[in-house]
Amino acid sequence: MTSFTLIEKIIRNRTDVSDDEIYPNNIVWVNLDLVTARDYAGPQVIDLFQKNYTGSKTFNNEKIIFTPDCYPYGNDPKHAKDQEKIRVFAKEHGIKVTDLGSGIGSHLLFRRGFSKPGDIAIGADSHYNILGALGILGQGAGDVMLAFALKTGKSWIKIPETVKVILKGDYEWPTTAKDLALYVLKELHEYGITGKAVEFYGEIIDKLSIEERVTLCSLITEASGVIGFVPDDKITADYYSEIGIEIEMLSADEDARYVSELVLDIQDLGQYIACPPHPHNVKKIEEVIGTPINSIIIGSCTNGSSADIHDVAKILKGHKINPDVRFGIVPATREDFVSINLNGDMTIILESGGNFFGAGCSTCANGQYGLTGGETAVTLTTGNRNTQGKIGPADVYLASPVVAAATAIEGKIAAPKEVVKR
Amino acid sequence: MSKETIKAKAKLVIVDDVDTDQIFHQSLLTIHDPNEIKPHIFGNLEGYKSFGKEDNVGKILLVGKNFGKGSTRQQAVTGFIAHGITAIVGESFGPIYYSNSVNSGLLLVEVPGISEFKVKEDDDLEIDITQSLIINQNNGETIKCVKIPQPVLDIIKAGGLLKLGEIM
Repeated sequence: MTSFTLIEKIIRNRTDVSDDEIYPNNIVWVNLDLVTARDYAGPQVIDLFQKNYTGSKTFNNEKIIFTPDCYPYGNDPKHAKDQEKIRVFAKEHGIKVTDLGSGIGSHLLFRRGFSKPGDIAIGADSHYNILGALGILGQGAGDVMLAFALKTGKSWIKIPETVKVILKGDYEWPTTAKDLALYVLKELHEYGITGKAVEFYGEIIDKLSIEERVTLCSLITEASGVIGFVPDDKITADYYSEIGIEIEMLSADEDARYVSELVLDIQDLGQYIACPPHPHNVKKIEEVIGTPINSIIIGSCTNGSSADIHDVAKILKGHKINPDVRFGIVPATREDFVSINLNGDMTIILESGGNFFGAGCSTCANGQYGLTGGETAVTLTTGNRNTQGKIGPADVYLASPVVAAATAIEGKIAAPKEVVKR
Repeated sequence: MSKETIKAKAKLVIVDDVDTDQIFHQSLLTIHDPNEIKPHIFGNLEGYKSFGKEDNVGKILLVGKNFGKGSTRQQAVTGFIAHGITAIVGESFGPIYYSNSVNSGLLLVEVPGISEFKVKEDDDLEIDITQSLIINQNNGETIKCVKIPQPVLDIIKAGGLLKLGEIM
């Protein structure tokens, strides 16, 4: 085989084996560009490293970052000690730490240029594959693999088959990238992409910002896929150029071998919402309009960027959040916090009755901001998982920032158009 | 393990879609000691509940399709290592189970159509890990496996991923 899909190409560039070893389902060693760990699992990785490789150095301290993002400002002794362990180890080995309040590790990787298209990066985060939005092969990894990677700079990977997904058509506001992501999740879950990679194509891609592409790729995990890629283009190149990095654009070969091709019609796509108890239980919003909601969270690696918070501010401007609703915003990164401060969105939301919390993973990290309490506290978040019991014992819905904002005003699930019209 | 071949008797558990909860139930999650895990292996799999108390030291376990599907559960690997199982041969494995096993140094071998081969309980098998072949010495049958990938060979020969890290 001489032609390759995007993931095959990235792996091929990062392995020492010959081209005839690059085929779906084969397992190969890869050389990693970046190894990260955070306050969830990071301390266990350090324990394993110290126990197995006593006195050893890491493979390359400049290719490792610790990104504590799960438990900002350790509100209990256990996590505070875990975070300290990370700082002590990092100092000893000369490793960079993006410490509490910096934000979600996976986002910092592209925001701050720690990782670039064509790279392979691993971390203890099952949503590391959001990096596929920038042509980076990001993968979650377990404690043992990460400890091994800290020592050797390598990991093994099973080369997945790739499904080519063509998004046909266009949509208009108030439909957003989250609705697209939810719709795509619903379709791909049904189609079956377990253990497979996806490449996204279609004219709509040219219109999606980096943040919107991240949103689109962030729900591939919920369909049991390996990663979703948006092939590098001018938008990717411009994004990196602004932070002073020139990228080499990678694309799949024209005659690359895909396991299948799927065309999804997204013309005039409506708005979607994931209903309990699974992320893939995606319904048209019309089916659940009016469901009472009393806790709303804006945040996560799916929808926690300043662009997402701007969507919220546009709808909340001049309105008050329903007194029955607690409304929390957890910006994805410090950079997002700065942006919404500068453009006035933060003031608009505060005046409406919203509350801001330190940048980080928000509700998706069990135990962080967003715990809702008892069985009567029904939640709507812009995140990516609605697993029962994760945020609270009651139901959890997943929706776009615009739906979340409209719902905040009404106190029940609402479509933004109706609210704005008033 | 540094040998290129594994010779052992076969132990058959040819059941499809065995979940990690059927290998080691989630109600036992607080148990981490390998010797305490051992008696509970297959404690939730109908027909094989006595496995945990049997002596299967050194045997090769033959399983069905999609073995070890479901939640990540290290005990569902540790338990077989505690039993002294030398390798698990199956039609296919759950992806998380596959990586947990290999990283722990337990060899998993995939064989398409495993149930069509005439392997009987306690047959003498020989796995040639570099040629990816299994020879049944009782009936002379040669079973072709999916090629065991180089990283898996490296890890198994070192005795696990973390052990391999010591020499890399």
